Amino acid sequence: MPAAQLAGAFIESAINKLLSLDPASQKRLIALNGKQLVVAVKELPWPLTFIFNDKISLLMTAAEQPDCRIALSLSTLNKLKDTSQLTRLIQERELELIGDIHVAQSFSVLLNELDIDWEEQLSVYTGDVVAHQTIYGAKQLVARFKEHGQQLQQGLSDALIQEKQLIAHPMAIEQFSQAVNQLRSDTERLDARLKRLSQKQQG
Amino acid sequence: MQDPQEQTHFGFKNVDKAQKASMVADVFHSVAGKYDLMNDLMSMGIHRLWKRFTIDCSGVRQGQKVLDLAGGTGDLTAKFSRIVGNTGQVVLADINDSMLKVGRDKLRDRGILGNVEYVQANAEALPFPDNTFDIITIAFGLRNVTDKDKALASMYRVLKPGGRLLVLEFSKPEYELLNKVYDAYSFHLLPKIGQLVANDAESYQYLAESIRMHPDQETLKGMMEQVGFEQTTYHNLTGGIVALHRGFKF
Repeated sequence: MPAAQLAGAFIESAINKLLSLDPASQKRLIALNGKQLVVAVKELPWPLTFIFNDKISLLMTAAEQPDCRIALSLSTLNKLKDTSQLTRLIQERELELIGDIHVAQSFSVLLNELDIDWEEQLSVYTGDVVAHQTIYGAKQLVARFKEHGQQLQQGLSDALIQEKQLIAHPMAIEQFSQAVNQLRSDTERLDARLKRLSQKQQG
Repeated sequence: MQDPQEQTHFGFKNVDKAQKASMVADVFHSVAGKYDLMNDLMSMGIHRLWKRFTIDCSGVRQGQKVLDLAGGTGDLTAKFSRIVGNTGQVVLADINDSMLKVGRDKLRDRGILGNVEYVQANAEALPFPDNTFDIITIAFGLRNVTDKDKALASMYRVLKPGGRLLVLEFSKPEYELLNKVYDAYSFHLLPKIGQLVANDAESYQYLAESIRMHPDQETLKGMMEQVGFEQTTYHNLTGGIVALHRGFKF
């Protein structure tokens, strides 16, 4: 089975499904109508070509003459959420971009500004009351998990740093690093003086 | 006694060349309405991935002119239409008007309009001027053509210099075990599915037989080269059950 095409079909269907759940996304899609964007993610074996019309089509090969081509790693992908950072990412060589930067920006905006009313979507199948209670319950559950997670993190941190002293406190690490830097500078200075004295003695 | 030169295959049967086109037409008139559903059932949806692979290998660009030959219900046309955009054009051609109508209705329902034309055409005598298309695809259609050499020559004629032909077609599995499983599936299960879903076991019996009578990978590659295609290659898909042949006209 062609694995690349399977992955492509999955990504294409998922993106188009998400866009269809947000009616406002069609307006943002119009800005990209007729454009082609090639995304080469370093960790993936295939480049992706996004073609924008009333829907998004995805090819698992690089288009020969795209409007924009970007190459980046998976870790940088997440940073593209903030389109104002594009220039900084290019300067820091985390992102290679050839062509029309607006295509990349518009695609990023298209996905980031997705606003899906999950309660509305669920109500189609379950009715309003069940949908409201389910989404409300899910939100509370997520909030509770977050709270418990933070408490657990804090508890673990206290136990490991303060009580068991298995891990150093960030401030202690900072002080240690400064002390090491100071020692390195002192050693280098001493080394330089010794060299100078040695040269004088030889001269 | 019949002249063997005037005979051709229709599945495992030998029939007059003049008869084959109308016999194939009857098969597709019969299955047109359930064609997509049957394709999904028979291939467990994998035909969509084979078609995606074809498009990925086509190198299609905005503004190009594409001929989707034996395009049936328009799966490839739909995708090509979006890629070539308003400045390009896709011609969906099929010899069978029932298939063409199903394809046209399906594409229009999906909002694919403007850059798609529908032409009823025989692959052996394409009604287009020389050097017209940048890309020609024929997916699961070549084995139904009576004179394949004539059809390939016709495609070569209407292809622009620099253009490419992609032939997606059932072929010969690469492994013996897969071949046996595939035979059992094709000759025993497939006609039963056809009977159950499309109420037509015979057409699907023909499908299985026509696949076995179709030239294997190397033979088809040779046939393409014979009519003038260059840099001809093929890529086996799903263990060779299907192969994508690609050739260029320079």
